[in-house]
Amino acid sequence: MQRVCEVMGGAKAALTCLIVDDSAFMRFHLRRMMDSIENVIASEAANGNEAITEYGRLRPDFVLMDIVMPGLEGVETVRRICETDPEARVIMISSVSYKEKVQEALAAGAKCFIPKPVTTKELRDAIDRVLSV
Amino acid sequence: MRAWNIGNEMRLDFVKIFIDSTSELIGEMIGPSVSVDSMTMSPSPVAGREVMAIIGLTGEAQGRVIFDMDLFTAVRLAGQMLGEPSPGMTPLVRSSIAELASMAIGRAISQINDEGTRLSMSPPTIITGSNLVSFDQCFETLVAPLSTSFGEVRMNITLQHLD
Repeated sequence: MQRVCEVMGGAKAALTCLIVDDSAFMRFHLRRMMDSIENVIASEAANGNEAITEYGRLRPDFVLMDIVMPGLEGVETVRRICETDPEARVIMISSVSYKEKVQEALAAGAKCFIPKPVTTKELRDAIDRVLSV
Repeated sequence: MRAWNIGNEMRLDFVKIFIDSTSELIGEMIGPSVSVDSMTMSPSPVAGREVMAIIGLTGEAQGRVIFDMDLFTAVRLAGQMLGEPSPGMTPLVRSSIAELASMAIGRAISQINDEGTRLSMSPPTIITGSNLVSFDQCFETLVAPLSTSFGEVRMNITLQHLD
């Protein structure tokens, strides 16, 4: 994860990440992937409203966001987060990945989109990409 | 006004996409030995095993997909997804099965949308228990049993194009 260190000016300061998914399995799975990436501290939110609150409180370096969630779904959540922080780095991770939905997510402010199931390499590459923007 | 009528035709073209996506996904996540056994049409869903995942479908077509499996299969499938065996039906096992269903159907509806039909899905609902056979509506259902190396996962698919 060379880029992570570069972004942090070569120092070993930790990056922060907010995992947003209604699925406890996905939060567990993504957290485990984050644990395998050096110097990332992950927090979690289980729905869109919780994500907005946690984003405002933590201002994480990047967000991993699901789309299909009960209540406030992922694309609208990204839109609201990006309204308050246009610099927010959001990576969408969803099995619902048809062209129109991907475009909708990117238009809402997401920086990239990974279809589920996600591999550690895909996740690393996406994080690298959003941190370099 | 759109209506979901008994007389509406089952979208078998879409049903095939659901089955193929599910087989493909289980193959990727659990292991490659997935086969679809003989499919049957039933006047209503036959799901009734101890673990059910239900996903609603809305849009230009409407219906639902019900996955059902026995407890042992669910625990073993989830253990494989989690990378560690589970002692029983824990909340994480329930969530793993829900996510497996969600990913399979999400992939299918992505293909269907890319082919031009608007279809969206609800988040999955998981029900566990015994004698789960009560459905208040009877709609023609395609039943597709998928054999995996951890046991059978049965799909009940009802999907009709709206008038």
